[in-house]
Formats: sequence, structure tokens, C-alpha cells
Amino acid sequence: MNAEIEKINTESNPKNRLPKLATFGIHSMFTVYSFLCVIPIILVIMVSITDESTIVRDGYSFWPSVFSFDAYEFLFKDATSIIKAYTVSIIVTVVGTCLSMIIIALYAYPISRKDFPHAKFFTFFVFFTMLFNGGLVPWYLVYVQMLDLKNTMAALIMPLLVAAFFVLITRTFFQTTIPAAILESANIDGAGEMRIFFKIVLPLSLPVLATVALFQTLAYWNDWFLSLVFITKEGNISIQYLMYKTMLNIQYLSTNSTAASAITAAGGTFKFPSESVRMAMVIIGIGPIIFAYPFFQKYFVKGLTVGAVKG
Amino acid sequence: MRKSKKNASLLVTMILAISLIVTACGGNNKPAPSNTPGNNTDPTPTPTAEAPADTELEAVKLVVVYPGSPQKDEKLIEEELNKLLTDKINATIDLTPVDWGAWDDTINLMIASREEVDVLFTAQWNGHASNVGKGAFNELNDLIAQYGKGITDSQDPAFLEGAKIKGKNYGVPTTKELAGAGGIVYNKEVADELGIDMTKVTTIQDLDAVYAVVKEKRPDLIPLYISSTDNTFNAHFFGNYDFLGDATIPGAIFKDGTDTKVGPIEETARFLDTVKTTRDFFNKGYINADSATSKVASADAWKAGLVFSSIESLKPGKDEEVASAAGLSGKLGQIQLTNKTIATSETAGSMLGIPTASKNKERAMMFINLLHTDKDINNLINFGIKDTHYTLNGEIMTKTDRTGDYSPGHAWMFGNQFLNYLWDSEDPEKWAKFQEFNEGAVKSPALGFVFDSEPVKSEVGALANVIKQYQVAIDRGAVDVDTVLPEYVAALKAAGLDAVIAEKQKQFDEFLASK
Amino acid sequence: MSTEIMNVTVKQAPKKKTPMLKTMKKYWMFYIMMLPAIVILLVNNYIPMFGIVIAFKNINYVDGILGSPWSKFENFKYLFMTKDALIITRNTLLYNSSFIVLNLVFPLMFALMLNEIKNRFLAKLHQTVMFLPYFLSMVVISYLAYAFLSDTNGFINNSLLPMLDIEAIKWYFTKDFWPYILSLVNTWKNMGYYTVIYMAAIIGIDEEYYEAATIDGASKFKQIFTITIPLLTPIITIMTLLQVGRIFNADFGLFFQVPRESGVLFPVTNVIDTYVYRTFLTVGDIGLSSAAGLVQSVVGFSLVFLSNWIVRKIDSDNALF
Repeated sequence: MNAEIEKINTESNPKNRLPKLATFGIHSMFTVYSFLCVIPIILVIMVSITDESTIVRDGYSFWPSVFSFDAYEFLFKDATSIIKAYTVSIIVTVVGTCLSMIIIALYAYPISRKDFPHAKFFTFFVFFTMLFNGGLVPWYLVYVQMLDLKNTMAALIMPLLVAAFFVLITRTFFQTTIPAAILESANIDGAGEMRIFFKIVLPLSLPVLATVALFQTLAYWNDWFLSLVFITKEGNISIQYLMYKTMLNIQYLSTNSTAASAITAAGGTFKFPSESVRMAMVIIGIGPIIFAYPFFQKYFVKGLTVGAVKG
Repeated sequence: MRKSKKNASLLVTMILAISLIVTACGGNNKPAPSNTPGNNTDPTPTPTAEAPADTELEAVKLVVVYPGSPQKDEKLIEEELNKLLTDKINATIDLTPVDWGAWDDTINLMIASREEVDVLFTAQWNGHASNVGKGAFNELNDLIAQYGKGITDSQDPAFLEGAKIKGKNYGVPTTKELAGAGGIVYNKEVADELGIDMTKVTTIQDLDAVYAVVKEKRPDLIPLYISSTDNTFNAHFFGNYDFLGDATIPGAIFKDGTDTKVGPIEETARFLDTVKTTRDFFNKGYINADSATSKVASADAWKAGLVFSSIESLKPGKDEEVASAAGLSGKLGQIQLTNKTIATSETAGSMLGIPTASKNKERAMMFINLLHTDKDINNLINFGIKDTHYTLNGEIMTKTDRTGDYSPGHAWMFGNQFLNYLWDSEDPEKWAKFQEFNEGAVKSPALGFVFDSEPVKSEVGALANVIKQYQVAIDRGAVDVDTVLPEYVAALKAAGLDAVIAEKQKQFDEFLASK
Repeated sequence: MSTEIMNVTVKQAPKKKTPMLKTMKKYWMFYIMMLPAIVILLVNNYIPMFGIVIAFKNINYVDGILGSPWSKFENFKYLFMTKDALIITRNTLLYNSSFIVLNLVFPLMFALMLNEIKNRFLAKLHQTVMFLPYFLSMVVISYLAYAFLSDTNGFINNSLLPMLDIEAIKWYFTKDFWPYILSLVNTWKNMGYYTVIYMAAIIGIDEEYYEAATIDGASKFKQIFTITIPLLTPIITIMTLLQVGRIFNADFGLFFQVPRESGVLFPVTNVIDTYVYRTFLTVGDIGLSSAAGLVQSVVGFSLVFLSNWIVRKIDSDNALF
């Protein structure tokens, strides 16, 4: 008996490792791919420090013939707006993400329970909102007339709180990673639902909670549309909108050639920031969020008590 | 015991939930309180156009919304304006600029939610006609008669005439140059250097010889720079096509003609000639190869020193305007290649309207009147505070180091441009030249008519997509005319071109009959 | 319900409480937990749904949304009357279907491979970097694409093709390449996003399965196909179903910005959303865009319903609802 087991052990791969060739293949593939992801960002950075006229003449290049930090100088002249906008963005992102995580998890858990008869109804309730919506105007009216939230931070936070997509992903995670046995034994022990949720379900769900937190952070940080629609007083706009505004202005005039020619014909002139400034705006807009993933990824670990079931 | 406790908590929860929802809904006003159009007849005593004494008018705040980027010193300008306005019409002002990129979305929402805005920028190319059709703007004729005498006194009647929709005015046009003409702005320095006599150039075809020389002797310059968004030889002001309203809806007549038959420009000889010449220029390398996709506007290309000439809509001093923006002051000249015309596109290209949601229509009109008559207010809103944002020498302004803190560049939106001070880099005779320019211009037969696309909006939608697909490339000569043009016309017809033309003709004929 | 006892049928008394109330009593805590989300969904999503009527009306602001006259199906005409209708529908469906597949295959592959990298630092680095494209807006990506594909100044025409001795290609004027270009951009941009989701799922799989498989002598490859993928089926199903629901909605930025509105490319880059937008720019009637949105929602919804029904027949646990 022992001899047989020994034989099997030596033939198999005790540490479950990949053959060396495959490892090498994987590493090189990822290196290439990472390269392909970083290059555009590098290009953006390089363009932001290129001299304007060089760009118009020669297009973008990784090593510009003429360097210039004019773009950043120009943008930081208005440093107070940038700081205010960063503050707004940070507050909205942090508050929004925290609230969102809790609200989503609280909703996703009940609908993940097979024994909850209304689970299907409430799943549908949230899914339906992913497909149907009444349009921009009615939604705007609800926020501005019904709730009177124009020019408030609440208007920047509320619309993104219940992201239906993540509710459903979280539900699926709860269903697949929380063993029914654990829930049963907790029930038998007399624990209330809230307790089960906080003491058992959440600790086991770190990966999905981290995922939702990460994506909501990105969603809040990247949003510019809410600022466009709801904020008319300069002080409360997000950094993303502050930076993207210029792009939108340029977009408007390049898509709408009737407008552009009518405006110039009527006597208006456009003083658009050059391409280097636009790229600098991209970098400023991205800012700290690059570190979001490294920040969250330490939570992408297994749930702590999964072993308890076996014991 | 436990059961009833559970029951109680359940009950409380449900009550809480329901009350939350009810209070949320409780504040639900109907999204649009019905606002009968008959608001023009207001029972309050209507004084004469002379600014009445303060005691008769109560203080109001006017919200003025217009496109542009927010300026740093806006608050200061508002304060100064408040001083002047309180004195004259007992009103204070709230300047609310909205970035161009957000403009369409924002005002759509503003109008839909009946936000109280008193003065709103509008233009025929910016959906004025359709907004009027939807009841967004007040009819202004009575208001102008009562409070806007300054406007009618100082403005050429062609402006208000040309901005009418179904015989009524819904926006007060800016007084500026009336006529439009097409031509090119070119680098005079280079032309002189190469010995080119630009006075010989009177038509597009004449440019061929000029460009040939430029291309040969100065290969570093693009003879004719056109980006995907710049004007081409087929721009409405160049081909003198009057589209009877929105230039993106096919069906036009000639501004400089007398024929009132509406037809697609693609079937006219003028269009065909122009397109063939443009294609010829493109093939000869006179036009930049990336013309159809480049998003580098000509202004930037000028700045980078790449350009010999570009197509512009001309008025006196246009060459200097382009030059100073590009840092080439004094080096550029302009040549007019079409005749001067006056059409609705010029008269209704920049207006101020009073939304139906405004509660201060009379005061709003008084304010607009001031923009047309009061030099102080006009220049304050356009250029900022004297001695802070500019220094004044007679009528000429010089920049200060705070000019950048308030330079909205929107003089063309507010009132009477002839009241504007001039910068020291501009032609001091600019306004005199403008007046001259306005004389002798041909009036389009369609002046005062705006097409209502409502009956054919489905076709217009389909056509818009076809036009986007073909127009850019054809107008820049980037594709072969003989193969693509017929394809384009066929696509237009398939998308309902004939229905739209027929409708335009019908409405136009009605308009002509009623004149 | 009746039970037969000694040939005498005794009807059991019907339950006094309705099942619904009993459920609510038993699970009252769940309702409280779900309450915040329910309120927000009602306010943010359900109440504004009254706006769907805009698609059927001829809106004017004097009467407001509720008071404006009905126009029945007028606003829907422009979507179908055009010969473009077929093209834009075909484009939207084809692109989205291939995106669903691409968004599954590549991120899943990457997630599996990342899981195998034993050097945790490198793994983290790769994952962080993979996310970078996601931060770039489509406008910026269109600029970058232009830097590569421009006729005159682009990298490809200037540096790459001459090296390979191929003639310069007018990228923005040649339709055939664009389905691939757009698919490439879409995958590249979203890779980081989807990879994270699948990685989180993989982490949740119990190590013991793999240990047992190793002892049994299964190769890595076999383990992936017998353990990992089957256990990921729920999440894969959900992701696919959710994307199917949006199959009629295209990524506007991708199809509008990246091709730089080059008309020649329209036959392969015009999708429903760009078509609607271009119409709206000219006509400015919100009824039109509302009608288009409704059509997209209805189609997407029907497809999801159908797919969900199919999934339910196969394995009801994985179904969405």
C-alpha cells in the first residue's frame, strides 16, 4: 500500500508546478503585453512635455525634438482650481466607494440565498435597471426638481451607488464561495442574519468586495458626466471634469462644423490649449488613481475561515 | 413575546420604508408646469422705454446663460455690472457661462426642467428654430417695441427681419457685420517674396497658378490647408448656398441669385465645378493629404508655420484676426473670391433670447437694450474693468497683465458690437470698414425664412448620417468625384432627399406668398 | 390538500397567512438589508422610467413631458426607414457578439496564467500595468491611434511598413482593417477590468481540489479544464448574460472617436448609437433618441430573457433569474 502511494507521489507534480518552458512562455507573453499597455501612457507623458509646434509639424514622437514644460506651467497657473477639484474627487470617491460597497453587499446577500423565496424577484428588480432607463431628461428632473440636489456632492455620489452589474457579480460570488454548510451550522447555532452576514459572509468574501471597491473607486474617479450635468458653480467639479472639459470643448467644435464655422464667422475665436496641454490634462486627471489597483490587490486573498468547514 | 417583537419591528420597518418613499415622491412637481404662451400680456404697468426711476421697479436678479469658459475674475465683473444695472434698471446679474462642450446638454436640460433663466444665448445654427417650436422662447416683438427702442434705433432692420420665425422674433440678434463673403487668407510676405500678384486672383481657378508656384518654391508650406473641420470651397458662405435654416439639412437656393427653386446643392453646376477643382488641387498636392481626418485646426497649423493659405469667411480685418492668433501679425492678407451676401445665417447667427421660464421678461429686455446702447455696460461685460483688465486710450485698449483673468472673447454675443472698444492690435478703422462692408451686399431671397424640419424629421435624421459619411471627403477633394459623387447623391435620395426638398419648397413658397 | 386516512378524506385547513407575509416575517432582516439599495434604485432608476413615454410623444416644453401630445410611432421611423438600418444593426450585433467572446477568452486566459506566476511581485506589477489602458478615455485613445495610423506622420506608415518593405496604407480610408482595429482597441482597453473579475473568482476556488488532482497525477492543463473552468461557470454565465443584455448598445466612444468620423469607414464603424447621435445633432429632438434607446432596451431584454431561459434549462443554479 505504502509503496503504491510512494510511486504515485514521485510520478506526480507535488508542488503542482508548470513545466519550465510554459513558465518562460507565460512570463515573456506578459512582459510583451505589459509593454504594450505602458507604451501609450509613456507616449502621453512624452507628448505632454513636447513643444507645441513640433507636434503640429511632426506628430507625436517618443523622443520629441524640442522639449517644453509649458503645458504643465500653463495648467498649474490655476493650481487652486486643480486642488479644489482633487479634493472634490477624493471625497466623492472615498465616500461613494465605502457607501457603495456596503449597500451593494447588503443587497446582494439576501438575493444569493437559495432559501429566500423573493430572491428571484429582487434579482430581476436590480437587473431590469441595467437595461431600461427613461432617458437623461427625466433622470435630471428627479434629481434637480424632486430631490433638489443640484450643485451638491450628493448628486455626484448617489447615481453611482447601486451599480447593478456589481450587485449581480457579488451575488454570484456569494453563491459560489460561501458553502451552504457554514450557513446552516450558523443558523443552527442561533445566529441572526445580520450576524451571519458580518461575521461569516463578509470575511469569506474579501476578493469580491475588493473587486467591487476597486471598480467603484474607478467609476467614481473617472466620472465627469455627473459634474457636467449637476454642477454649475466652479468650486464643486471633479478633477476629471475639470481636465476633460477642454477635450469636450474641442470635441464640440470638431464634431459640429456648422457651429464652428458659424462661431468664427460671427467673430468668436478659439484659444484652445495645444495638444501638449491636452495630454498633460490626461496625466493630471489620471493622477493618483494608478495606485488604486496596487492598493486593493492585497485584499485579493482567500477568505480566512474557509478551512473551518473541513474541521 | 419574541414573535410580537418581530412583528413590531417588521411593521416599523415597513412604515419607515413607505414614508421614505412618500416623502421622496411628495416633492414631485410635475416636471413641467403648464406655461401658457400668452404670458406676453403682463398686467404690471408697462413704462416707456426710458429707464424708469428705481421706485417703480422692484429689485430682481437676472440669470444670463451663454457659452464660454468660466473666467477667473467673473465675480468682479458681476459686482461692477450690478452697480451700473441697479442704477439703471434696478437689477443685479448672475453671469453663468457654460463650456461649449457642455452647452447642448446643459441647455437642453435647463429648458426641459424650466429652470429660471432670463437671458439665453441662441443661434439659428444651434437649434433656435426647433427650440422655438418647442415653446422654449418668448415672442419678443412687443417687448422690443416697449423696452427695446435702443435696439431698433441702432440696428439695421435686416437683422430682426432675417431672424424671424413664422413672422415673429424670438431672439435679439447681435449688431455686427451683416454681410458675409468667402475668400482666402494668405501669407502676404511669402506671396511678395515669390513675386505672386494676388490681385489677379478673382476665382478659385485662379488659385491654381498661385499654388503651383508655392508648391514648387516653398515645399515646406502647405499651399491650402484644410482640416476635417475647417471651411472648404463649398461652405455656405463661399458657394453662397442659402440652406433656408439649418445648413445640415439639404435643399438650398443661391443667396446671390433670384431663383426661388429649392434643390440639393450637389446637383448644381456651381457645386460640381467647385468639387472638381478641389479634387484637382488635392491631386496636385496643394491640399494637405490628411485633410479629411486631421483634427488640427487651421489656427494651430498657422501657428506652427505650416500654412500658405486657408479658406475663411471674410469681413474687414479677418486677415489680421487670423494673423494675431497665429503670431504672424501684419504678415497676412486676404482676398475675397465671392460676392457679399446677406442671409439668415448672418443675421441669426448670434442672438439673445428670453426663455418662457423667465419671470423677469421685461427686465431682461431692458438689459438686452442696454447691451445695445450703453457703452460702459457693453465693454464691461466683454472686456472687463477699465484700468484693471485693460487700459484705455480714447477708444483703443491696451492689454494689462490681468487681461488674461477676464477675456471671454464673446463680444459677438452681446448687443451692439459697434460699441466695442478696439484693441491696439486691431485696425482702428474696423467699425467704419464694417459699415462699408455691409453696404452693397446682395440680400438673399430667403432672408427671414427658417425651415421647420418637424414634418420630415425622420428623413432629416437619415440624411444627416449620409451627409456625414460622404461630405467631408468630397468637399476636400480626397476622393474621386466621378465615382463617389453619384454614389453620394444616390444615397441621399435613398434616405429621403426628395421628400425633404419638397417640404422645404412648400414652406418657402408659403413664406414668399405671405411677404 | 387532502390526506386519505382510512378512506376518509380529511381536508387540511388552508394556511391562514399568505405565503408572502410569512416570508416577509421570516426574512424581515433581509428586507432591511436591501432597503437602502431599493430606495436608491427607485429614485435613480424606476421613477425616471416614466420618461420612456418621451419616445411616443412630440415633446414641447410648454406642455411639459406629461402634457405633450402623443405621436405614437413617429419617432421610431427614422431608425427603420433608412437603408442604413440593416448596416448599423449588423455592425452593432457583430461587434458586440465578438466582444463578448473576446472579453471572455483573453481575460480568462490571462487570469489563469497570472495565477500561475509564482513571483508575486511580478504578478502584481503585470496586473497594475494591465489596468492602465482602462484609465484612458476614448478621445485620448483616438489621438494615440492617430499617432499610429496617420497617413503622413503615423508610426506604422513612417517606421514599421518601410522596414517590412510594404507600401504605406491609407488607414482611415480603408474599411477592411477596422473591424480588427476596433476589436483590438476594445480588448486592450478592457483587459485589466475583466481579468480582475476572473482572478477574484479563481482565488475563491478551494486549494484542496487542486491538491487532490495533483495527487491523482493530473497535469496543469487537465486541472484547468476539469476544476477551474467548471467552477467558474457561474461567473462566466453571469458575465455573458449581462453582456447579452447590452448587445444592442455599442460603446459610443469606441465607434465615434477612434475612427475620427471618417465617412469612408461608416459601413463598418457606424453602429446604432453613433447613428442616433448624428441624427440628434441635426434634429435635436429628444423623442428620437428616446425611441432608439427603447428599441435597444427591448431587444436586449428579450435576448437576455431568452438566454436566461436556455441557461435555466441547462442548470437552473446559474440562471440570472
